[in-house]
Amino acid sequence: MRTSLLRERLAAAGAQFRDRLGVEVVSHFSERRAEYAAVRDAVGLTDFSSVRSFRLPEDKGIDFLDGLLAGNVPKIRFGRVLHTLLADDDGWVIGDCYVANNDQEFLLLCESIVPDAELDAILEAAGGTEAGLEDLSPSHVLLSLDGFRSWEVAKHLFGADLLGLPYLSVENYSFEGKPVRLFRAGKTSEFGYLLLAPQAVAPTLFDALQAAVDQRGGRLCGVDVHDDLRLEGRFFNVHAEGRRVRDPLVLGLQWMIDFDKGPFRGSEAIQRRRAGGLKQKIIGVATEPGTDALQSGTAILHEGRPVAEVVAAGFSGVLNHALGLAVFPVELAFSGLTFRLAAPDGPPVRSLSMPPIMPKSLTVKLDEM
Amino acid sequence: MATESGLAASDPVRQTIDRRARIIRTFKDELVRRLNLPYTPEDLHEDVSLLGSGLGLDSLDALEIVLCVESCFQIKIPDQNIAVLRSINTVVDFVIQEQDRIGGRP
Repeated sequence: MRTSLLRERLAAAGAQFRDRLGVEVVSHFSERRAEYAAVRDAVGLTDFSSVRSFRLPEDKGIDFLDGLLAGNVPKIRFGRVLHTLLADDDGWVIGDCYVANNDQEFLLLCESIVPDAELDAILEAAGGTEAGLEDLSPSHVLLSLDGFRSWEVAKHLFGADLLGLPYLSVENYSFEGKPVRLFRAGKTSEFGYLLLAPQAVAPTLFDALQAAVDQRGGRLCGVDVHDDLRLEGRFFNVHAEGRRVRDPLVLGLQWMIDFDKGPFRGSEAIQRRRAGGLKQKIIGVATEPGTDALQSGTAILHEGRPVAEVVAAGFSGVLNHALGLAVFPVELAFSGLTFRLAAPDGPPVRSLSMPPIMPKSLTVKLDEM
Repeated sequence: MATESGLAASDPVRQTIDRRARIIRTFKDELVRRLNLPYTPEDLHEDVSLLGSGLGLDSLDALEIVLCVESCFQIKIPDQNIAVLRSINTVVDFVIQEQDRIGGRP
């Protein structure tokens, strides 16, 4: 099983580990609501080294990535990051990807729902070796700072100039003489920074981040709380709805796809389904406070008939009730409707507009601070 | 899982859907036209984030969305109310809420 280079430190800090597709991840450190509150009110530090990271030289990498991914890689401006997806040959989603145009290199971060060996085979078959693809996963850590005050921690370590970085950008910094690539990104709807750091400085960087996070009332987080945070922010979660639905069009991920560019992996199947018209759509659903939590796989009924199915479920700390995503036929995929959960006389479940919350970070302009 | 709504025209759910669908269609068509988006209106999921992630629109685009709502629905989004601009659906919620308020409906 692949483990994080920071495993000893994480274990010493109280990490509870679990397996995710043959990769060990930290599920949590403490109670889930405490980790949730840390991100919404302060800052959370999460080890996301389970996400695969790759480097490619710019000259060879551009065509390789553009033929592989759904987004338009040549259009990525210098210093910017593209959020796109990786599909299989049948056009089903298998990876949620960031691609960064960083100086003379492209960086690929791929959060995948296929085992490492399968992803490696896909990349190799697509010409990864010829494109100079270098797997950074064994030699780097990927740490995520998320939260209303995460910018304070990032500024503390790397200086005030990072406050000018726009969302979805990349910048190079140095920590103890080693290069650290910083992605201004995140999927919590609060400020977010991903730090890709080499093994040589991973432990000291982690210690410095943890100390700075502690000073600001934050805490270490596992990956599980990010399921709730992504759901509330209506960020695509490849490990939740992505694993159950797979069709990028039903998932509402058209914005990750350039339909006008040349062929990419799975493009023929995706274009064919697009031409046939959308039959189903994923939308947000919620139950009333105090009712049972939503569960993936549960049916949603209208007038006694099953019409939809819950495909992702979590809890909204802001709204204080269960929140989920469900796949409806397009004719019924509208917010503002009330259905029944699980049975004709089951508890009411409402369809709602997403994202249902207004994050604190949207009220702050970093470039004016 | 059912794939057809099978709702009668008299079904109140159908009426709610029809009203919302009309507003969504008008708003999406105008959004794609004004911002010259590289998508068809059908490609735009109603929950897609308008600013930052998702469509990745900037502050100038946000102003265009405000003008778009004003032009299509004769409804003004207050300057400081960026919460409305989270997604197409949140804009539509605001339009419905304002139509009901102005029209005196509950």
